[in-house]
Amino acid sequence: MLRAAGLAKSYRAPSGGQIQVLHDVDLAVKAGELIVVTGASGSGKSTLLNLLGLLEDADGGELWYGDERVSALGRSAKSQARGRCVGFVFQSFLLVSSLTALENVLLAARYVGRPAAEARRRALALLEQLGVADRRDHYPAQLSGGEQQRVAYCRAVLNDPPLLLADEPTGNLDDANGAVILDGLRRRAGAGAAVVVVSHHPDVVAGGSTVYRLHEGRLEAA
Amino acid sequence: MVLRILRGYAFTIAGIAIGVGGLVTLGAMSERIVRFIEGGDRFVLGQISVAGRGMGMGAGFTAGGLLPAATIRAIAAVPGVLGVQPQVMLPLNPSVSQFMTLTQELVLGLDLAVPAPNRHYRDLPVQAGRFLRPGERKVAVLGASFAASHGLRPGSRLTLEGASYEVVGVLERMLTAPDRFVFVPIEDAREQWVAKDRLLQTVLASGAAALTAADLNTGAAVGWTDGQDPDAVARRIRERVPGVNVQLPSELSGLLRSSTAFFSALLVGIGALALVIGGLSLANTMAAAVFERIRDFGVKRALGATDLQLAREVLAESLAVTLAGGLAGLALALALGASIDAWVGRSGQELFDFSPRLLAGALVFSVLLGAAAAGYATWRVVALSPAEAIRRGA
Repeated sequence: MLRAAGLAKSYRAPSGGQIQVLHDVDLAVKAGELIVVTGASGSGKSTLLNLLGLLEDADGGELWYGDERVSALGRSAKSQARGRCVGFVFQSFLLVSSLTALENVLLAARYVGRPAAEARRRALALLEQLGVADRRDHYPAQLSGGEQQRVAYCRAVLNDPPLLLADEPTGNLDDANGAVILDGLRRRAGAGAAVVVVSHHPDVVAGGSTVYRLHEGRLEAA
Repeated sequence: MVLRILRGYAFTIAGIAIGVGGLVTLGAMSERIVRFIEGGDRFVLGQISVAGRGMGMGAGFTAGGLLPAATIRAIAAVPGVLGVQPQVMLPLNPSVSQFMTLTQELVLGLDLAVPAPNRHYRDLPVQAGRFLRPGERKVAVLGASFAASHGLRPGSRLTLEGASYEVVGVLERMLTAPDRFVFVPIEDAREQWVAKDRLLQTVLASGAAALTAADLNTGAAVGWTDGQDPDAVARRIRERVPGVNVQLPSELSGLLRSSTAFFSALLVGIGALALVIGGLSLANTMAAAVFERIRDFGVKRALGATDLQLAREVLAESLAVTLAGGLAGLALALALGASIDAWVGRSGQELFDFSPRLLAGALVFSVLLGAAAAGYATWRVVALSPAEAIRRGA
């Protein structure tokens, strides 16, 4: 489902020089696989996830979603590819504060032209499944961290994306809530999605079908 | 949903309302001055004003000497002249000067037997009651500001030089000099003039000068026949009628404009200041509101929103927000203006003219500027990668 070849990324340092974060990263993720990427803080794990999810452009290398070379697409086409193919779960949830839980979930359907009524049915079912249906009209500020991440998870999987990217999804959660999210990610992989998770959490690492470690900007088998 | 969006932007709307409120309030002051200058210009271009040569006793608008009946007849005989209306203009209270109306309270005596010759003011607009009728005596029609400041209305009584007058009408507010006038029949104005002027009393009592009541005129308004050039008619009067001061309409208009040049410059300054202050405040508030939501935009782009979808969304929200802020600003300005005008209205003043063109212009300006500011901010936001937008908004 996902293939990255020779991905490289550097950032400009405050002193004016370049910091090479990723060197020549190759990665392939098949449908149904749950890949876990670990590494020290600042090793480039989140940057890698951003590149894989088209949230920022690589300096070099190529990225494929299935047969589509998405790294060559223009900005709007990349947005469309993201909406169509990728679901994101962020460590800090990133819910829109002015929208209710249900509206946050439905946001994922807004930009891909999915029929509203059908999306709403699916969103309510997901909220029910994750145990936050009774919180659907609450705003993010009125939800606990665990509830917010469950809502964010529902948003990520609303469109059944073939690729699910999760950046430290259990980093801000207690064990119980972490287990709910982890279980969800496993089930997505079980349902055929390609899942890439960046995490330090031992339970997450243990649940990965393949585990990689990012070290000095290079991806190594752990 | 729209209400919720607007609630989310409450501070932005309040900021825009204050900016637009300031813009409209300052603009309304400019409009007030413009109306006065335009009104005065329109008046002087609608008639030829003639006064007797000399210093005269009636220190009125024409500020000339006596204009005897024989001279008025001579003017009427000049080719191109349609009609001549003798007038008596007297200061009602010389000690009172009004800044914003640029004039003082005046009594204007009109010869009602002659149709009003001013092409632009054939009939003065009456708001309550009626205008003066030929043959009437001891009746008065009041300008709107005069009526308001003195608490008079049709049916009220007014004392002028010891004589009691019945108020039969009040004019609509014209935002020009006549707002502070008291219109009376010319015979009554002549009586007031004599009562007011000891020298004139002495001259009349001595019988030394062959003066009749019909000779007591401070000036005359002269109309011209269709197709005539008013300046040419005025020059003809100058040439053919001795002992008169004739103002060419174009000269008087120029004189008025040069005498109000300071106010013209002031209103340009006020308008420019209003646009800059109000515009900057509005644009800054709207752009800040968009930049504040940079993280949300990053998230939306992560979820698949294209530049166009995002721009459309932001533009629709910004239009709703600037429209709400603009309307609130108009309401704020109207409320503020009405309060101040109610306060200064007790002394017959009116500081603001909230003309439809000002209100519509301010609303359109605020919506367009708000949309432009939001568009600019959105363009800056979408130029960032979603990851960068999320990072900056964190």
